[in-house]
Amino acid sequence: MSKKSDILLMNFFIFNSTYGPKEGEEEKKILYFYPPATDIDEKIKQIGHIDRVLFARTFSDQPCESVHNQKTRLLFYEAEPNFWFVMSVSIPYSQRVKDGQTFVEYHEEDIQDSLFRVVLQQAYSMFKLFNGTFHGLLERSGIDSLKHRFEQFYTKYLLTLNLKHSDILDIFDGIHFLPLDKNTYLRIQCFINQIEAAFPQIKYTAFLYNDQVVWSGLEQEDMRVIYRYLKTTLFPAYMEQEFQVQSSPAHSSALSSPASNPGHYGKFILGPPNVHDITCPGKTHRTYLNTHTETTEECHLVVYRALSATICLFVEGDFQLNFDFWRKLDSRLGPQLGQLASDIAEHYAKRTNTLVSEPMFKYVYFNHMNLATKTTLHVDSTKTSGASISPELLRIICDLNHDLSSIDSSDDGEIFVKSCGDSWVVGKKSDQREFYVVINQKNANLIEINGECFLL
Amino acid sequence: MATANKVADATTEEEDTRAGGEGNETVPVVLQGEEPGACRTSSMLVASDSFVDLELCVEEANGRGNVSDASSEAEVFRDRVPSGPIEEITRLDGLTVSNDVQPSTECSNGTTPSAEVTTEDSGSEQPVTEKVTLVRTPSLEEEEPDYTHSAEWRAHRKHVFILSSAGKPIYSRYGDEDRIVTMVGLMQALVSVIQSRQDSLRCIVVGQHKFVFLVREHLILVGVVSSHESCQQMLLQLNYVYSQLLSVLTYSQLVRIFKHRRNYDLRRMLTGAEKFFSNLLDLMDYDPSFLLGAVRCLPLDTAVRDVVAQSIAQHAKVKDLVFAILIAEGQLITLVRMKKYFLHPHDLHLIFNLVGASESFKSAESWTPICLPRFDSSGYLHAHISYLDEHCRTCLLLLSVDRDVFFTLSDCKHKIEQRLRKYNCLKAISKAIDTEMTYCVSDTDITELRHFLYKSKSTAQFTCPEYEAPYSGASERAHIFGLYQFMHQRLHSAARPLKILYYVGAKEALLGWTTSGFELYAVFGPLVTKNTAINSVNKLLKWIKKEEDRLFILNSPTF
Repeated sequence: MSKKSDILLMNFFIFNSTYGPKEGEEEKKILYFYPPATDIDEKIKQIGHIDRVLFARTFSDQPCESVHNQKTRLLFYEAEPNFWFVMSVSIPYSQRVKDGQTFVEYHEEDIQDSLFRVVLQQAYSMFKLFNGTFHGLLERSGIDSLKHRFEQFYTKYLLTLNLKHSDILDIFDGIHFLPLDKNTYLRIQCFINQIEAAFPQIKYTAFLYNDQVVWSGLEQEDMRVIYRYLKTTLFPAYMEQEFQVQSSPAHSSALSSPASNPGHYGKFILGPPNVHDITCPGKTHRTYLNTHTETTEECHLVVYRALSATICLFVEGDFQLNFDFWRKLDSRLGPQLGQLASDIAEHYAKRTNTLVSEPMFKYVYFNHMNLATKTTLHVDSTKTSGASISPELLRIICDLNHDLSSIDSSDDGEIFVKSCGDSWVVGKKSDQREFYVVINQKNANLIEINGECFLL
Repeated sequence: MATANKVADATTEEEDTRAGGEGNETVPVVLQGEEPGACRTSSMLVASDSFVDLELCVEEANGRGNVSDASSEAEVFRDRVPSGPIEEITRLDGLTVSNDVQPSTECSNGTTPSAEVTTEDSGSEQPVTEKVTLVRTPSLEEEEPDYTHSAEWRAHRKHVFILSSAGKPIYSRYGDEDRIVTMVGLMQALVSVIQSRQDSLRCIVVGQHKFVFLVREHLILVGVVSSHESCQQMLLQLNYVYSQLLSVLTYSQLVRIFKHRRNYDLRRMLTGAEKFFSNLLDLMDYDPSFLLGAVRCLPLDTAVRDVVAQSIAQHAKVKDLVFAILIAEGQLITLVRMKKYFLHPHDLHLIFNLVGASESFKSAESWTPICLPRFDSSGYLHAHISYLDEHCRTCLLLLSVDRDVFFTLSDCKHKIEQRLRKYNCLKAISKAIDTEMTYCVSDTDITELRHFLYKSKSTAQFTCPEYEAPYSGASERAHIFGLYQFMHQRLHSAARPLKILYYVGAKEALLGWTTSGFELYAVFGPLVTKNTAINSVNKLLKWIKKEEDRLFILNSPTF
């Protein structure tokens, strides 16, 4: 059996079914199309096809979710009324030789609908975070501006999509929390309160250590998206930058210049890189929070980091960010943050020592109420180095998740499954919490014991 | 065409046996071929797994479908000369059967429909041709609105449509197919757009509904389902509907018709056959045999069954008789076959459907052509169908490749009937139908077990008890059938087949277990512990082994 081909993104587009209703005006429906080099006829054909598919609404009032073809999968998501996200993905195939003939076999079950729809939802929520809702944008600046924004945003965003590695964690879209002892936690709280008091323009804050959240003042929905953004885009980019800077020969000379860091380790990730250098104002992002409520708030996102602790500040949108502000912020944040970071590091080190003795079971845990996620399945949470169990088992977990939420529609239940490779996968769901374990032994008894141990 | 199960290939036998093993429990070592219900000699049915079969069908069809126009002439020409087993048998015996002349071709008088049934009153010598036609009311219907506006029509759980690849509606499960013309046109457009991109449309998911498409020679079958079937399972059902269509027309004829006229209205050839489709679809809603690709046998003492088989084997030893089948109420009593030829469970299901859907067979002996798609899709077998008892429950089918042996077979039937009466077999069969046909779970003396399905893979037979409380009502049965579908889908999924599935929900606990020898699906109460479940299952296997002579047909008698 030869290698399977990869899951590739073939098309991604956004359209509005109510625009351009007349013949010859179909082009107006298309708001964004990837790959951008497709010619216009092809685009129109695709849209026409989708329109027809949507006819299926004659039978059901629910939105169309997906179309399964032999070689491709189309997924739909109606982000806002009449605005549709459509993605088409190629189905991995492998070639088999049977009786002297080569057969191409399509592994359509490798692509799970629930998983890839989540990809679309995330694409939408990320856009919404940085640009506001579609309707909001339309009201403020009109349709051409909307198209332009799509162009800008998605051309970059689509490059970050890692379809091969999508798995159950994406479905949960949860947050890794860092449990801390009371003292440290209270100190952090105190610190945040002080900052907020000193700078009344700051509306919300979030505190992270490495890539785990310690505290967040944001709504859950927003925090989810911000967290994902930080994890997948901002932090890796920053780390890479740091790495490059460190390895460059100019580094040693830069270190010796005292001007940048007077006595503390903190600096802005989103903000001016050097508070004393007025010429480069740095970058901040505008974010739109609480979009699902009546009061959408526009804020500047400022991210500041010292050692491994990061603090995200959401500053009022109307406030003009100037260097005075930056400098004050820097001087307040820097030393304290650095101190806190090293304290946490100490505690953290102590804690991991005690944890090592626990048996390392491979599990994933998710709590719907506070979006807490824990996993030992993945070596590192950005998944760049892959999971430690086979993709097949990961997909089984997705299946279990789907089953637990679809059969009987009652919340609680559990499923034990033994796969062909003799691994047991157990899924338990109770009380808004889900838990999946992978075990490579043959005894059913052992599973029961595990279940008891790990149920929190 | 015995297909080995993919799962079986991957596992070693030891793994299967310890599958449900608790720390201290002893699980019976079940090797392939030794499971309860495994046959002693070779099986009379082709062992198959429904999904593996389906994939092979699809591959075959795609292989045929991908033939370019230039060579399609050759393809069709090849089918004109029937090449399957029927041809073999007839050639062997020096009989020339021309498959071109069917009772159902477009005759010059233009009124002979395909489902023509020749019946004979037991007294007279003249076969009377009974034309079964549907009276079509003239087209006032075109003025009535499309069904798509009727909420009631839409609310059916499973719609099935057959349309030609040109977009003409041929069959609709609910309602009149004339009224769905626009929708059908849309479906055809969808399929052809995707085909133009070298791809093929499989299914569309809309919330709870799935639109499943199966494209075959010149036909498109569409299922719209809002129940628990998965796409695969729905495709399976559509494939059955297609086979039923082939069973009436044969594959060669279908291809030939559309070759001559692309716009041919196939309904003309199918008048009278709608009841077969409807019955089949109704059966598939609650009968697990389609899902499992297996056949259910009437629980009968081995002694009685042996006598029956012998009587048939002796008295029906006629030239060109391929199969002699005795069935009762959708269950198999015995099957006697020509050496070398096996019957596929798929075909047997179609035969059950044929008998179950027609009332006309009960009145007199009948002679009808039937095509068995898995046996040979290019030609007809001719079936002599009659009931052996007064209450019309035990049905004897004699299938021959020769068109003209009605009277010979009628003779055979009389002889067989005499002999069975002499040995009181018919009484025994009647008794079995009344009492033992549906045994209860309580017979097995296993508490906590509510219901189960057990399939023995090597014989392609399965057994299951009667539904009793809490599953005696129709909606509860639909519920439990949905659970079986769920288990089956998970255990047989192409990419991630599982060996064991144990699900604990609010209303029941389910256990699904496949090994290389058998498949078992069991339903327990929700509070059962895993220990109890595994124990029960072991006990069940022992009980089935004990009763296997009664529940399964273990021998395979031949002529």
